[in-house]
Amino acid sequence: MDTGNSTGIRVASVDDIPEGEGIAISSDITGTEDDIAILRDDDGTCWALNDTCTHETASLAEGWVEDGDVECPLHSSRFNLKTGKVDGLPATRDTVPHRVEVRDGEVYLFPNERP
Amino acid sequence: MTVSSVLVVGGGIAGVSTVAELRKNGFVGELTLLSADAVPYDRPPLSKDYLAGARDLESIALQPAEWYADQRVSLVGDTVAVAMRPDAGEVELADGQVLTADRIVLATGGRAVLPAIAQVRRDVPAALPTGKRRERPVVSPIHVLREVSDADRLRTSLVPGARLLIVGGGLIGAEVASTARGLGVEVVLVDPLAPPLAAAVGIEVATWLHGLHADHGVEALTTTVETLLESPTGIAAQLKGEPDSREFDAVLLAVGLVPEAGLAEAAGLETSRGILVDADQTTSHPSVLAVGDCSRLRDHHRAEHWEAAQLDGARAAATILGSPPPPATAPWWWSDRYGLHVEGVGEMRSPDAEHQTVVRGVVGEPPFAVFTLRGERLLGAVAVDDANAAKAARRLIDRAADVRASDLADPTQSLRTLLRR
Repeated sequence: MDTGNSTGIRVASVDDIPEGEGIAISSDITGTEDDIAILRDDDGTCWALNDTCTHETASLAEGWVEDGDVECPLHSSRFNLKTGKVDGLPATRDTVPHRVEVRDGEVYLFPNERP
Repeated sequence: MTVSSVLVVGGGIAGVSTVAELRKNGFVGELTLLSADAVPYDRPPLSKDYLAGARDLESIALQPAEWYADQRVSLVGDTVAVAMRPDAGEVELADGQVLTADRIVLATGGRAVLPAIAQVRRDVPAALPTGKRRERPVVSPIHVLREVSDADRLRTSLVPGARLLIVGGGLIGAEVASTARGLGVEVVLVDPLAPPLAAAVGIEVATWLHGLHADHGVEALTTTVETLLESPTGIAAQLKGEPDSREFDAVLLAVGLVPEAGLAEAAGLETSRGILVDADQTTSHPSVLAVGDCSRLRDHHRAEHWEAAQLDGARAAATILGSPPPPATAPWWWSDRYGLHVEGVGEMRSPDAEHQTVVRGVVGEPPFAVFTLRGERLLGAVAVDDANAAKAARRLIDRAADVRASDLADPTQSLRTLLRR
């Protein structure tokens, strides 16, 4: 695994993440406080947000990704994939976005860098 | 006429959603939110994490405290409306202050139904004439659960070994049974239906869900309560069909809600099991709208679910702004019990000549989902620990997509791909 921050952390192949779904990357790998969800929008683009919903404790990687938002699997709080901002209650606190890059079909994560 | 001021009466999800949607969609006028509590809070946790003591009031706030100032919403907390004069656009508060606005949105919610059990009935204080009534039983071990103060009070009874009687096995009764068991409370749950919730989730899932109570040490009985009487050691409950009464330390009455329509009724608005509204949330008075549990769409049942109240607020905001309403969508709800997450969407029907029941996975072995199909149209779904099945089902219903039973039943077939056809 490549961990250089300049090139990002290679976390998955794009093909491993179906459009509209996500995967969780452990904080052991990302070095962040929370796990990070890599979320693939239905147009195929990849985004990254802190994995734990700010409302309760659900994993956003298990959520529903569509039209630039991820919907929490528990109570359907919605977060903007790019900014982490709340787009729908019951969550009221924004979450943290991280930068991802796709190169040669591989997804690279840049923890704590703004997208 | 441009609307330059809106007064929302009630700080539940419907009221807060109304002000949030107004601002989000460009309303620049004066916005006032009247709340019976200091700061509006979310009610679903009151039977779950808040009741268990795992979350505090601040963490269940519907919006952070600074949000109201940020959004230029005048939050008038800890007060109730006692009268409304719609023609003048006036609402009178308990302290005599009168607020005026071009539009009034009633979001006064509901109160718990008090069943006709003798002791309970006798101790109910006379209802206040209007506004948000604080009507509840005064015998201290008898509880209802609607407000944060109810939850605080009930929680003091939920100590290990305490004996709790829950009257009503619907969503709230079942959630409290689960929370109380987690706190080491001995629980008896009674409901006249065997099982409860069959209309909402279908008989098969309802039977399994109700069976979870016994699996978790709850004594679930199909009966009714004939009397509740104070006894030296708590409450004596006489259950129908039993020779002797049983002793409890606390009783929760969870048998439904009554819409809080007093303010509208006293002002001469049309009410009937709720403040009657049209599809755009307008009441019988053109400058008054109503949203959430206090309202009822003409010729429909009240939805009484969290998201239904939220969408009412969005529709009311669109009506005030003169913009198109949010798209119609199948109703959706969730509930949690014994660590399982249950979601329902649309309408479940018993299998008959027209309707087919399709199971994805195995009922009783989460994750699983059950669907109601009419021909190739999906009408409803219930999912346990499979929220994405419910989300897919909702979209399939909303798009009136053609669906095959065999695709729904196959757990290896992603439901999401059915949406792309």
